[in-house]
Amino acid sequence: MSRKLLEMDGPEWVRRGVITEDQRAQLLALYPSEANAIGLLPLLGSLLVLLSALSVVAANWQSLPELLRLGLLLATLVAAYAGGEYFRRRGNTSLGMGLVALGLVVFGVSIVLTSQLYQLIGYDLTGLLAWAVAGMGLTWLYRSRLLFLLTVIISGIVQGYNTGQLGAFSYLTAAGTALGLGLYWWRRPDALLGGVLAGGLLWQAALLINHLHVKITWFFIPAMLVYALGDWQADRPAGRALQGPPLAAAFLFTLGLALFGESDFYAGQLRAPLVPYLAALVAVLALSVVGKQRRGRLSSATDWLLLLPGFYFTGGLPLAVATLVVLYAYSGSVLLRAHQEQNPDRVTLGTVLFVLTTAVAYFKLTWGFFDKSLFFLLGGLLLLSLSWWLQRRAARTLAAANAASASAASAAPKP
Amino acid sequence: MTEPLLSPLNPVPAAALALPAHHRRWLLWLVAAQVLFVLGVAVAGYATAALGRSITLQTEPVDPRDLLYGDHLRLRYQISELPGSLWRGSTLPRRKDAAYVLLEPQAAGVDYAAVGIYPEAPATTGQQVVLRGSVQDVWRRGLRLRYGLERYYVPETMNRQMRQRRRLRVQISIAPWGQARITQVDTLGAVR
Repeated sequence: MSRKLLEMDGPEWVRRGVITEDQRAQLLALYPSEANAIGLLPLLGSLLVLLSALSVVAANWQSLPELLRLGLLLATLVAAYAGGEYFRRRGNTSLGMGLVALGLVVFGVSIVLTSQLYQLIGYDLTGLLAWAVAGMGLTWLYRSRLLFLLTVIISGIVQGYNTGQLGAFSYLTAAGTALGLGLYWWRRPDALLGGVLAGGLLWQAALLINHLHVKITWFFIPAMLVYALGDWQADRPAGRALQGPPLAAAFLFTLGLALFGESDFYAGQLRAPLVPYLAALVAVLALSVVGKQRRGRLSSATDWLLLLPGFYFTGGLPLAVATLVVLYAYSGSVLLRAHQEQNPDRVTLGTVLFVLTTAVAYFKLTWGFFDKSLFFLLGGLLLLSLSWWLQRRAARTLAAANAASASAASAAPKP
Repeated sequence: MTEPLLSPLNPVPAAALALPAHHRRWLLWLVAAQVLFVLGVAVAGYATAALGRSITLQTEPVDPRDLLYGDHLRLRYQISELPGSLWRGSTLPRRKDAAYVLLEPQAAGVDYAAVGIYPEAPATTGQQVVLRGSVQDVWRRGLRLRYGLERYYVPETMNRQMRQRRRLRVQISIAPWGQARITQVDTLGAVR
């Protein structure tokens, strides 16, 4: 509920006798309006002045004396932080945090521009690592979601620059992201931040796999470690959000393999050695299952069906069939659980995954055998009937759920 | 993302809104550390030029079209690719190993050339200097090395002077603590 709604509809509620005037005042007090005394016009005006100053500086950057350049950078840095703190204290939190975030960005820009100024490129990674560390410090200090988001992005950029430009992977940056931000998320669980953190960690894991030139499927070991961390998190929505990106990555990977796997030209880069890979995967699985059991969510262990190593089958048809079996096992289990839990969002997700898998399966397995028009006709009919059947099931499940909740409500004692 | 990160439903606890005193102190430290870090980068660059030993190296011809793509030139030095016979380690070099290249001025000119590649920093005599790099590539007869000096951020004054592929003479300053930076770049004759 927002204050705006309360302000608009509140008098009407009082008139209808839903709440008393006193209660309306109490409700309003629960949602304090931000004390943004600052008007829009002065803000826009100062923004324009700032932009003009920026363009003057940018146009003459090369011809400014070195010390002046350095001074300008540092002054901007300090001013952004000081301004952020000033507005926060006046209760204007959004603007304040925006300025602090700007300060963090200026810090990174300062490092880069100063290094260029003195022709320092070097092979050491400390310069940009300091940027990520500063972001983590600020995140912990301000407990801000905005800064958390920004720090995940910065760490990803730093790691991308390291591997791309300097040809080295910074394990410190990766460990810092995992520990510094992971611990923050662990203490203050949050769904959005969980998804973002998982995405950032997967990005760095992918860069590491690429940097080490090891087989691609090793990626799923760190990815599923992230997943397992979500199992241990007490806050269910936050844990689920952290598990979203690893599952999405696994699903897309398997789907891609089912679609394009038969060419096998990358076979040399794909398959990790069977025994070490399975051993590592089983270890992560055990970690995950213990976490699920501790938190009483063993039913979600079906997620792991997606990690069945069907990709060890080689060649065209066996690989396609194996990956499709994996996809069907997973999307079928999602559907089944959704119907058991009577969860409408899950039903939708499961339906989409199932239909997608069926489309791929049909495309892969029948393309060669059919005349093209027959192929499309039968495929369309198959998908239509499948979606009709799934929707009917979903409608029935949800109707049953509604009936159950309605009867529960009527059975409840009246106050 | 359109959703505000701090919605009214998800307010910051009142205690966090005004940071307590020790938080303010931490913030002060954090900002001071950032300022000092940037200053440190500047001082390191300045000190490397002021206290370091200056040498000159020749590059392979540089393509002026590089300038079209950005603000820096990509430099390839004559010592960027060296014959394997210069390797002085007991085991064969591998990718990403550190490599210390011993440089000596050629008898005729002022430009320095490599006389040996070592896995550990070697002792120097007289005019010799050591430049630290890392092995990028190894093949049967040679090595490709990287020194962290492969980019030159071109100042406005030099911009667009070059019309043809040219060799460059690059002046490099090597600090006693091993850090190196480019201090000056001059163009040599054009190469056809």
